Amino acid sequence: MSRIRWMSVGVAITILTALGAGFSLWSPSPQEPPYQLVKTWGGKGADPGRFNEPTGVAVFGNEVFISDSRNARIQVFDLDGHYKRAFGEAGKAHGQLGRPMNLTVARGELYVADYFNDWIQVYTLDGRFLREIGQAGSGPGQFDAPGGVAVAGNGNVYVADFYNQRVQHLNADGGFVRQWGVTRETGVFGGKLGYPTDVALAPTGTLFIADGYNDRVLAYDLNGGDLNTGVSSGELTTKWGGPFAMNIHGPWNGWFATVTSITVGPKGNVYVADFYNDRVQKFTPDGEFLNAFGLPGDGTMHTAIAVAVSHDGSVFVADYANHQIQKWRRNEQDR
Amino acid sequence: MKYSLQLITATALLWAGLAFAAGTQYELRVDGLACPFCAYGIEKKFVKTEGVESVDIDLKNGLVIVTTAAGKTFTEDELKTLLNDAGFTLKRMTEKSL
Repeated sequence: MSRIRWMSVGVAITILTALGAGFSLWSPSPQEPPYQLVKTWGGKGADPGRFNEPTGVAVFGNEVFISDSRNARIQVFDLDGHYKRAFGEAGKAHGQLGRPMNLTVARGELYVADYFNDWIQVYTLDGRFLREIGQAGSGPGQFDAPGGVAVAGNGNVYVADFYNQRVQHLNADGGFVRQWGVTRETGVFGGKLGYPTDVALAPTGTLFIADGYNDRVLAYDLNGGDLNTGVSSGELTTKWGGPFAMNIHGPWNGWFATVTSITVGPKGNVYVADFYNDRVQKFTPDGEFLNAFGLPGDGTMHTAIAVAVSHDGSVFVADYANHQIQKWRRNEQDR
Repeated sequence: MKYSLQLITATALLWAGLAFAAGTQYELRVDGLACPFCAYGIEKKFVKTEGVESVDIDLKNGLVIVTTAAGKTFTEDELKTLLNDAGFTLKRMTEKSL
């Protein structure tokens, strides 16, 4: 009897140790000091400096660009939140906006993923419309609700094509090059995606995909490949988000509950908007968890939908629930 | 008697016309509406559907309120299909003539 009891205790200890090891493996501790909320600005409204559902943010130099989605405009602020200008108007014509989502600034231009109009709009940084890329549909070079865009140094664009369940790589003229994901098929395995929301491109040539409803981040290597065609190998190098990155969502460090935005910071670290967990999580380029921060939501409305990082390491978060922008910093900056 | 019949007929036709002229409002309960990628997706599907006059999303209560033009109606199956295309499942619905 005593022997059985001791065996039971041993089994229990083994199970608890395994669970503890698993938890520390799948829910790591922060690797750096916490971020502090520096300020917020905005509030619901249509006046300059106010927002009706901000859904995207980008930083370039000393300016912050915001997708003010239901107001169908882009607003521009300085790094302290002082209003500078706005552009865009509601509509379906060239230069007009449906629902602007995640933003990217590249090559001196602003790229806007327009979820309703099914194209990428390109503007000068002072708001002059230049061109659009793509059109509605599910064929090559077509989009169904683009959520985010990344741009390479040669002008090639990478678009998170939300309802088509893929990320498309197009050349600067919008010609189709390749895609990740299977068109209009969701999945976790077999190269499939689950409602991709955003993409980010690191200077090292890594493409990060926010695989939105799969609750994970995927990283692909764009270096190498076929020298004749110029098409990269585009191989998956790493992925993260919960155990085995296989669509298991949760509130712990390194886990996600719908990924809605992704960006690469000045030191190459990766920042991810973890929507239903009301936070931004920060990782090394290899997916090692570094930090997490955010404002709590009320359970039905959520506070972190998009993220961008300035050159000094300040983090700007589009707060969907409160129609505002949050600015975060660490005392010891990630410069 | 003849005038009474004419009056009743005219009144009935008037009411029928009014009923036909007004649209329908559908209140659709779906789960997981808090993410704008989802909410906008539903809105987009309905806005592009002929005969839909407005779509309002009540995120707090998980409701999609669709108002149609006169003569435009949806069957429950049609609504389920539209919501499925947007990545959602219809939980329940109410319908009222306006």
